[in-house]
Amino acid sequence: MSVLKVGVLSCSGEECLGGTISRLATRKVLEELKFIDTVTLCLPLYLAGGEEERNFAKVYPTISVDGCDKLCAKRSTEKYSGKISGSIDVSKVIGNENALNTKIVRNKDLKDEHLQMIDQVAGEIVKMIGSISPDSLNINPK
Amino acid sequence: MYKKVKVVPCSGIGKVFGLMAREAVLKTVIELCPDKSETVCLAYIVTGDKAVKEKIEGYDCITVDGCPKMCAAKNVTLIGGVVVEEVNVLDTVKEHKGKKFGSPTQLSDDGEVVINEIAGKIARKINEIN
Repeated sequence: MSVLKVGVLSCSGEECLGGTISRLATRKVLEELKFIDTVTLCLPLYLAGGEEERNFAKVYPTISVDGCDKLCAKRSTEKYSGKISGSIDVSKVIGNENALNTKIVRNKDLKDEHLQMIDQVAGEIVKMIGSISPDSLNINPK
Repeated sequence: MYKKVKVVPCSGIGKVFGLMAREAVLKTVIELCPDKSETVCLAYIVTGDKAVKEKIEGYDCITVDGCPKMCAAKNVTLIGGVVVEEVNVLDTVKEHKGKKFGSPTQLSDDGEVVINEIAGKIARKINEIN
């Protein structure tokens, strides 16, 4: 049996809600998506880790998920690892005002409306995974 | 005038310890020491952009990591931050043997207890500096 794997890489930014949403939406996809295997990597490992980490985007077709329009995950992946297959800017999905909220950042402060934002972004990630060309998918024997 | 201490967590996405680092830092900068500290996105630091370098270079920084790879400490050092304290969540976790701290997505009640303890330690250090 072969398994298709896609990398999903979140900025997890600590300064604003967009980073929290990017992290939790990425986790949701990793935990719940069944039709395709997803893997992730801690972004700072590009510099703190080794060659294996820096090869991430070369090994897996990778989607970056950024909380704001600085697009740190996208730019760092392209700078240190390789070309990405897709990019999501959470601020475009939930609105700039929500993404840049610096008051509600902790998980425990999230309300129903924020959980809906996580679902919305997770949906966008799944859609983007679905749009990746099958030719670029890494097929590993399980 | 105080120069706010930069407190930077790893926010590691694979294990609960990354979430613990993140939540401990956010509790510190939002609730415990909002006037004396602030956080800076680690992903932004990784980009090496001039604007983020200016925010970090030469400033006192406390890093909080969730695994021995110490990503926050290494990346803050690389961009020129003065790391005055390297906190590793695992050092505090060891004192709570047998407890379940939650998942990379959600902390348990025991996880909240530990992050409150870590946040208290970080706040004490900030108050020593400022």
